[in-house]
Amino acid sequence: MSSFILEQIVNGIITGSVYALVAAGMTMIFGVLRAINFAHGEYYMLGTFAAWWVMSKLMADYGLAIVGGVAIVSLIAVLIGRSVMQRLIGQPFQAGVLATLGLSLILQNVVILAFGGGYKVFSGGWIEPIELGDFGMSQQRVILVVVTLVVFAGLEWMVRSTRLGRSIRAVSQNIECCQVNGIDVEQVVRRTFLIGVAIAALSGILTGPINVSIYGGMGESITLKTFAVIVMGGMGNVRGTLIAGCLLGVVESLVAGFIGLQYRDSVGFVALLLMLMLRPHGLFSSKARF
Amino acid sequence: MSCYPTTTTNMRSAAWMALVALSGLCAFTPARAQTADTFKIGIISPMSGPNARYGAFANKGAALAAKEINAAGGVLGKKIELVSGDSQCVPAEGVAATQRMISLEKTAIIIGDVCSSVTLAMQPMVEESKVLLVNAASSNPDITHKAGVGGFKWTFRNYPTDEVRAATVLEYAAKTKGFKKYAVLSVDSDYGRGAIKFTKRYLPKYEGAEILSEDYYKDSETDFRSVLSKIRRSGAQAIILYGQADTTPIIARQMLELGLAGKVALVGNGEFNTKDTIAAAPKVMNGAVEAAAWLPEVPAPRSLKFVDDYQKANGGEMPNNHAYTHYDTLQLIAQAIKSANSLKGEDVRNALAKIRYDSPMGMVTFDDHNQAVLPMVLLEITDGKPAIKGMITTKVDYAVK
Repeated sequence: MSSFILEQIVNGIITGSVYALVAAGMTMIFGVLRAINFAHGEYYMLGTFAAWWVMSKLMADYGLAIVGGVAIVSLIAVLIGRSVMQRLIGQPFQAGVLATLGLSLILQNVVILAFGGGYKVFSGGWIEPIELGDFGMSQQRVILVVVTLVVFAGLEWMVRSTRLGRSIRAVSQNIECCQVNGIDVEQVVRRTFLIGVAIAALSGILTGPINVSIYGGMGESITLKTFAVIVMGGMGNVRGTLIAGCLLGVVESLVAGFIGLQYRDSVGFVALLLMLMLRPHGLFSSKARF
Repeated sequence: MSCYPTTTTNMRSAAWMALVALSGLCAFTPARAQTADTFKIGIISPMSGPNARYGAFANKGAALAAKEINAAGGVLGKKIELVSGDSQCVPAEGVAATQRMISLEKTAIIIGDVCSSVTLAMQPMVEESKVLLVNAASSNPDITHKAGVGGFKWTFRNYPTDEVRAATVLEYAAKTKGFKKYAVLSVDSDYGRGAIKFTKRYLPKYEGAEILSEDYYKDSETDFRSVLSKIRRSGAQAIILYGQADTTPIIARQMLELGLAGKVALVGNGEFNTKDTIAAAPKVMNGAVEAAAWLPEVPAPRSLKFVDDYQKANGGEMPNNHAYTHYDTLQLIAQAIKSANSLKGEDVRNALAKIRYDSPMGMVTFDDHNQAVLPMVLLEITDGKPAIKGMITTKVDYAVK
């Protein structure tokens, strides 16, 4: 029994690390823009599709597809960052909602138009199982967890010790002061957006081999889960996001393992409701931003 | 004061817009009416969303049949024109698409839907509008339990029901394969839950057979590790899976990950037999048992010809069973129109009830519940390829409750 619980916790951490990776970018973008990025799941989807495209059309192997996929999506992020995201600075929140919801619809449907509405098979990746006693998981999942830890460590370092990180913190505290002090707010927003999107794309590429079937609407469900994660972690709190993501994954796994798979998705929504009722600033201190 | 003129401008522009909209509507209506030399037949299927794949196959299959029928002179001198509606596999969307099709396209005959939940929602609507609904791909037993003498006079189904499927799959799993302990993992829809309801009804027939756990997944679910861990520890010998075609590879691959390959078999339905699915995790798919309406490997000559023609028409793509059943159903309707010698929905309906249609798979007739009695294939995946284990005739015993 206890080993079953342990197994479910491990399953949950693996699932949760995907949530955390996607949510990290979303929460940083919220930090600098004060806008919820409703299209964030779409960059996760774009990452998977870009890697699939690189593999199936350019006949590259999976390792190259990771690099190529992130590069393609980053290019898209540069375009969208310039044309849409940087214009949201100082705009009322409705503008952000409309712009990102619109982007989400456009990106989904462009992918469906370009590649068709059906599922594609994502072949490749390192899917051979690693057996540890009566416990099995694919190499891909181990990589996923390791990459999550590395990415979060990198983000932590970036936010604390680099000039960009310091300007991100400054912009998320007070935009006007930054402008007065000569910080290029638009540039900070563009770069934050680019980092967030690249991480989401990376998580999409890394989960591709596990999810196998991919299609244009696959980003939607991950966006919904991410809302719960960023509210739990505290909007704009990167470290909190990692813990909240894993927490959501673990609780979901336990619910699916002990109660039933059909109740799994309710976990996120119940958590969201409870958080908004009891601790709207997140599980951690309301001041802890970055 | 300043707001007064603004209001007039607003009203004026609103009036203009209304006028433009109205004239647009007028221009639209006559263009959409039935022309003299074509006969419109509607197809409702999921063309977007997680089940878009089914709709694509359904439309291509029907298009091939329409091409063949039209090349042979059409029906009663008219060419068949197919019109498509998108249900997204969501009942509300399917009903709206059907409504649009009936009121705008004025189709007397509709083929639809693939998803059982949508078909069940369409039934009362076509009944009210007296439009003939011929289903070609939904397997929930209730669809025909409630049709014919059961109530709905305008619904026919040219597809096997899960009642027969569940009984056949279970019999093969229990008797031939000797499985006793089962875990249920099916899609959370009328199709998935309906098939399990009937499986449970037949389970007591087999000594010692039991269901150890029961889980249903949402059609966009991608993470099955938790539930598969549970199944592995429960000691189940087989997973009864009535699922979506696109989810089967995900489940298979995660079974491989958890070391279930070769230990737990998949039995049920969910396109276990396609090349892509088997390629996703060959070790898991070997030994999978499925009852399917059709598969490309069926050795009947006309079925093989269909595969050939379909591939030629669609750039080499392999048809799935929905492509075949929609092809077949349109052929069936064409024959019903010929034997009715009329294009009126009611005449075609009466002809359909009495029809003896020689399909590529074998003879098709309809029982008093408007359910087709037709052959179905039982297969097992052996060495990475589907091996046909038998043909089943899908005669439903309505007395069994």
